[in-house]
Amino acid sequence: MFVKMKVLSVLSVLLLVGLASSQDGARLLAAKNLLNEYLVEGKDVSVLYSIYNVGSSTAHNVALTDETFPEADFKVIQGKLSVQWERIAPGSNVTHSVILQPLKSQFFNFTSATVTYLPLEDAEEKSTYTSAPGEKGIVTLKEFDRRFSPHYMDWAVFAVMTIPPIGVPFLLWFMSKRKYESIVTGKGKKH
Amino acid sequence: MPSQGGKKFTREEELLLQDFSRNMSTKSSALFYGNALIVAALPAWVFWRIHQLDITQTQTIVLFAAVTILSTWLVAFAYRNVKFSLRHKIAQKREDAVSKEVIRKLTDAEQKKMSRKEKDERILWKKNEVADHEATTFSIFYNNTLFILIVLVASFLILHSFDANVNYALSILGGAGLLALLSTGSK
Repeated sequence: MFVKMKVLSVLSVLLLVGLASSQDGARLLAAKNLLNEYLVEGKDVSVLYSIYNVGSSTAHNVALTDETFPEADFKVIQGKLSVQWERIAPGSNVTHSVILQPLKSQFFNFTSATVTYLPLEDAEEKSTYTSAPGEKGIVTLKEFDRRFSPHYMDWAVFAVMTIPPIGVPFLLWFMSKRKYESIVTGKGKKH
Repeated sequence: MPSQGGKKFTREEELLLQDFSRNMSTKSSALFYGNALIVAALPAWVFWRIHQLDITQTQTIVLFAAVTILSTWLVAFAYRNVKFSLRHKIAQKREDAVSKEVIRKLTDAEQKKMSRKEKDERILWKKNEVADHEATTFSIFYNNTLFILIVLVASFLILHSFDANVNYALSILGGAGLLALLSTGSK
């Protein structure tokens, strides 16, 4: 929701720019967004690409290519990093998403993907860039668990460790108390 | 010491005085400090695993050592105070039971041979021993429970938003300090 609003606000500003030059045919604006709040090593990350045609005519042969995810750092789980649309009508938009898995914990600079298209059917090919999410930290799975897991195991271990210093003196005291109290009550019964 | 001013206390007087004395044997002193050390060091686990205290830093290790030593002393102080405030009460409570137990254990021959004074002495000695044992164990149990409770409440409810090192030092020292303070109050 927040992402969409952000995109829309950027779009509305750019729309004016777009309208001013709309005579030249199709004009595409593209956004690239990471949908996860936390990027965690070995956990899925969704990347959403949105392309808006703010021009006056249909964009043809639109190709979106993202070469910013090196194979050594990311594994593609679902979707493709290179897609094509035959045409995008003026005033409409298309979205595309990819699910990736970061393989390492590091600071990674998420940069722009490229979009190429023909503004008019017979015009020269134009290219543009998507927005760039910027540099983000990918945390280790261990760190993520530390911050967000309920620590059941740690609490269990702590409970086991606290039993001797509380339980042993209590038992010793209780056994002595019971022993001497039973002597007193035993005596009471006899009389 | 009993031999002050040339006057010597009788054995019975000594035993009676023991009920109120604050002298501790090395054995019970070691027991207190050992227990206090364990219970003072124990919460570090929670700070390491849950509050993310970074135990690999030298600074944290020094802090841990300092906090543990200081709180061990405070907890042992609390053990001692609670023990002494309880011992006399327990001794009074157990008097009947102990004398009955001591007499029951004597054989007939011993009963006849022993003077009344000797029997009283033996009862007094046993009573002191029982009171000492019960007061010691109860004091350790009570203070350990209270200490762990205070530390958990302080670290999770009061100081949760603080830096892990500050949280650690304040909750442990605060807990041990409060324990020592509570132990000085007479009930």
